[in-house]
Amino acid sequence: MSLSRRESDDFRYLLEKSVKKFIGFSEPTLVTAAFDCIDRGYDRRKTVDKLTAILDNNQATKFTDIVHELYEDFRIGSRGRSKKRKDDRDDENDNKRRRKFKMLLYVLYLQDDEAPVNVPAPGNPSPGQLTTDKIKEMMANAQKLIQERKTQIQATIPTKSLATIQPDNTTKVFMNDVASKAKRAADLQAQIQTRLSGMQGLGPVTPAAQSIPLDSKPTLILNDQGQTIDAVTGQPVQLSLHTPTLKANIQAKRREQFKGLIDKPPEEISESKFFDSRVSGKGAFRPKRSFKFNEKGRFEQLANRLRTKAQLEKLQNEIAQAAKKTGIASAAKLATIAPKKDMKEGEVPDIEWWDSFIVNCEHYDNLDLKDDQVLTGVTNLVEHPIQMKPPAEPTNEIAIPVYLTTKEREKLRRQNRTESQKEITEKIRLGLMPPPEPKVRMANLMRVLGQEAVQDPTKIEAHVRAQMAKREKAHEEANAARKLTAEQRREKKIKKIKEDTSLGVHVAVYRVRDLKNPAIKFKVEANANQLFMTGIVVLYRDCNVVVIEGGPKQQRKFKRLMLNRIKWQDDKKRSKDQDGSDGEDDADKLNKCFLVWEGTVKTRSFSDIKFKACPTETFAREQFKKLGVEHYWDLAYSGAVLEST
Amino acid sequence: MSEMSDDDEDVIHIIKKDKVIQYGSLEEKERQRLANTGSSGSLANDAIEAGKASGNINITSESNQFEIDDDAGQAEALAEFNKRKRARQIQVSTDDFEVKARLRENGEPICLFGEGPAERRERLRQILAQIGADAIKKRAEEKAAEAKKKEEENVTWYHEGSESLKEARLWLANYSLPRAKERVTKQKLEKNIPATQQNAKLQELHKKIRSVTNDCSQIGDNRPLSFCQFSPNSKLLAVSSWSGLCKIWSIPECEMVRELRGSHNCNVGAIVFHPQATLSLDDNACCMASCGQDGTVKLWNLVSEEPIADIEGHSPYRVSRLAYHPSGRFLGTCCFDNSWRLWDLEAQDEVLHQEGHSKPVYDISFQCDGALAATCGLDAYSRVWDLRSGRCVMFLEGHLKSVLAIDFSPDGYHVATGSEDNMSKIWDLRQRKCVYTIPAHTNLVSYVKFQPQHGNYLVTASYDSTAKIWAHPTWTPLRTLAGHEGKIMGLDISPDLKHMATCSFDRTFKIWISETSETL
Repeated sequence: MSLSRRESDDFRYLLEKSVKKFIGFSEPTLVTAAFDCIDRGYDRRKTVDKLTAILDNNQATKFTDIVHELYEDFRIGSRGRSKKRKDDRDDENDNKRRRKFKMLLYVLYLQDDEAPVNVPAPGNPSPGQLTTDKIKEMMANAQKLIQERKTQIQATIPTKSLATIQPDNTTKVFMNDVASKAKRAADLQAQIQTRLSGMQGLGPVTPAAQSIPLDSKPTLILNDQGQTIDAVTGQPVQLSLHTPTLKANIQAKRREQFKGLIDKPPEEISESKFFDSRVSGKGAFRPKRSFKFNEKGRFEQLANRLRTKAQLEKLQNEIAQAAKKTGIASAAKLATIAPKKDMKEGEVPDIEWWDSFIVNCEHYDNLDLKDDQVLTGVTNLVEHPIQMKPPAEPTNEIAIPVYLTTKEREKLRRQNRTESQKEITEKIRLGLMPPPEPKVRMANLMRVLGQEAVQDPTKIEAHVRAQMAKREKAHEEANAARKLTAEQRREKKIKKIKEDTSLGVHVAVYRVRDLKNPAIKFKVEANANQLFMTGIVVLYRDCNVVVIEGGPKQQRKFKRLMLNRIKWQDDKKRSKDQDGSDGEDDADKLNKCFLVWEGTVKTRSFSDIKFKACPTETFAREQFKKLGVEHYWDLAYSGAVLEST
Repeated sequence: MSEMSDDDEDVIHIIKKDKVIQYGSLEEKERQRLANTGSSGSLANDAIEAGKASGNINITSESNQFEIDDDAGQAEALAEFNKRKRARQIQVSTDDFEVKARLRENGEPICLFGEGPAERRERLRQILAQIGADAIKKRAEEKAAEAKKKEEENVTWYHEGSESLKEARLWLANYSLPRAKERVTKQKLEKNIPATQQNAKLQELHKKIRSVTNDCSQIGDNRPLSFCQFSPNSKLLAVSSWSGLCKIWSIPECEMVRELRGSHNCNVGAIVFHPQATLSLDDNACCMASCGQDGTVKLWNLVSEEPIADIEGHSPYRVSRLAYHPSGRFLGTCCFDNSWRLWDLEAQDEVLHQEGHSKPVYDISFQCDGALAATCGLDAYSRVWDLRSGRCVMFLEGHLKSVLAIDFSPDGYHVATGSEDNMSKIWDLRQRKCVYTIPAHTNLVSYVKFQPQHGNYLVTASYDSTAKIWAHPTWTPLRTLAGHEGKIMGLDISPDLKHMATCSFDRTFKIWISETSETL
């Protein structure tokens, strides 16, 4: 069969018309089937066979005749008429998808032909949706046809049916009639169903393209005010509007109406109409910017204020710390019994305070144990005191990090990398990511670029070199981005040295015989500072005490400094050489450093490392006593005293 | 030329104007409108154009719609990728039991039909990916709420003890009050002694202490020796060992008198003498008590090698130390179930099961009056209990780490504690505070002991293999007892003040005496 596309469309149009004439309404399946038969060049007999799937035998032969006649006519007259219907076919340029959609709706509609006529399609009633409008119209047309057909059928029914409505007739007749009506309706439905199924069995025809009734072109359009107007006359037409029934929709509509009222600008002054509201002009000239001079010392003042504020805060912190140390808070927490009056050191009470709660008298001399009523405090109660959390126990559990073996680490890395690579490939395959350009090197350039490389080698080489440079640059940049900044690196180092001492500080007390050498003093101070340790160095004649606080690791390093790294004896020898006095009178007098004590305490007592030269023992002890750690001095000093005796 | 330049200027001018205008060029619109009105073919056409222009007629281009669809699809696909990535990053245990537990936690079936551990694990991973981070956050919040609730519940409360407890307490009150009265009157008298005389006495004592040396050393067992105690008559020394054996040695000869064969099957924590054993108590009566790591407490007499009784009720918890009440009627034991017990040996009954520490109780000491008991625990706190009222009369807070030793001074109101933080603290019950902190050793302090009867000095033993003697009121170091090769685990001073004994991890015990004087 040799029908061009345009011709086939034209012919289909004709066919549709004839089908409409033949059965009284447009039936796309029939049209499609007939068209298909013609299109494949079937003869009459074969066409009849095909069409019997949809129509009765009798009707099929008749319709075949009509179709073939039509085709003969069409072939003769096809040349001259193509231009005539150009306008009508404009819509046919719509793509297949949309047609399919319409078709689907149409089919659905056919199945459901008992539905009320004026039901608009649910969903978006937007006037802009040309497609839906069209669909609606088509539906309306089809519905109309069906209605007509129904009325015809009704008309053909004998007058008996009319008589049934007469009240004098028996209910039985009425029932019969109703039943027959129902039966007929069912028949009609069944017929359509069978036709539909027949259509499905028709073969690889795509019925979508053929199903549109071409005369269902819209005749209504909208003007600039959104009113519906007649396409020909341009007169506004009143359409029955679909009123929203949903409460939300009604409210929305009402809001819209009121909005119009409220938003309507008040009557303008006569001048205002000369302004175009769409134009928002800027001022004609910009304001002059003048210099702003600050008074001398303003920023200094500001800085000073900040400084004092910081100092105050520090002070407050210290006070809070001191308050904590006295243990007021923890003592208040415990519901223990307390003595009625405070005792002084060395004072002997008339009665021990714990006994006074038992016997309820103020002196042991007044005690008469023979009296049963004396022991008021004795009970058979068993106390369950508040259980206190150990101070060195961390509040939240420490998660032990899991370390993997080298093999495991490598395996994990490999798996992760393959996984991410797979993801990238998949993304490229799905078009979510542009594929990477082929990776070319000087070595593989011929293989990758082939023909192009032959055509313009210079250009290609330049291209390859550029790509290589780009790759390298990207690599370097990635490396640089991973690198820590100088600030971060420094912080990392500090963090590594500093240890968490919130749960206990390690303290060490050293005693040195002679700490006059400035080089050694510097070493001690510098190391303490570099290790971020706190403490005090008290310089007092033969008993120089170094108290240092920090974490265990810091302490280890400092201990190594004090006991191993500093050569105390050498220093002494040198000073003696300078003196020129008694050479090696006794080994005891050699300079030496002793570790007096090391242990842990709850909180730091010092805020930084300080050197104190003390003329007297009491002054030295005072330095420690201020901070409540005089026992460090006592121990070190007594050691020195014991040694000297 | 000039015209041209004028034109140029005009053009530039227009562009400048454009900058001022906020949206679109009005000019073009205007022109369009004019053109439309000018051409005005049919009214309808005009209307259509107008409708289009005003946006009432929208003709969407197909390609545009497709793009939108594609975008939606892309977003969906990307979301799917993200989800998968998140699922991949979630760590799920490979242990099937744990996986099941997690599933159950999340209210999911722990097993589906035909599901193996691998699939189950994958399912859990998907579920976790779906729930996402808020589940974890929620759990943390729940935990915090729980902790808060626990905190609120943690208050002091009492329960009524048995009748035997009341009876025992009355007995204790009647026993302790006269002793307290006696002690206080004695102290009052002592206070009247002139300071110079007191000082002279102390000086003399210090001199004696400074001359303390090692008298003899004896290998006690083939395992570390954990504890030693002199008998009340100072003629015997009981030493307990980790081998499970306890041995009785004669003093000062250091010869073995008896080996308590039927001892424990595990490390023995301590062995103590009854306060009246070897004095007024019959040798066949219950004279000694020992405790073991498996929670056994055995009672011994001074004749047999087998225990005469067992005290049950601690196992499987370790009993670290035990002590006799000065009256000898009661025995206090420290148990690792965070409690300490008071046993009435006459009634053979546990009269008190006292809680209060949040970690195992390690050591116990009774006041000389018999009114108070002090316990210390691994929770770094110590508590002083009134035995008559059952109340915790003082809470000793100050150590950072476990407190391993506690001792009452014979003066009745000083308490010394030794802790794992290498410090020893002295507490005054009358002033209710820590009066001094001794930075005692460079390793943990395993034992503290006041001089019996007088309390003029304190001896501390440590794992740094030294024991140190400290003067009482000033807390200055008097003497360091070095000589052991291992950690010193126990120490005692004989009641007649002639000897001092230390036992060590190096399996030896040593006797120390003063060179210059008979007594210490």
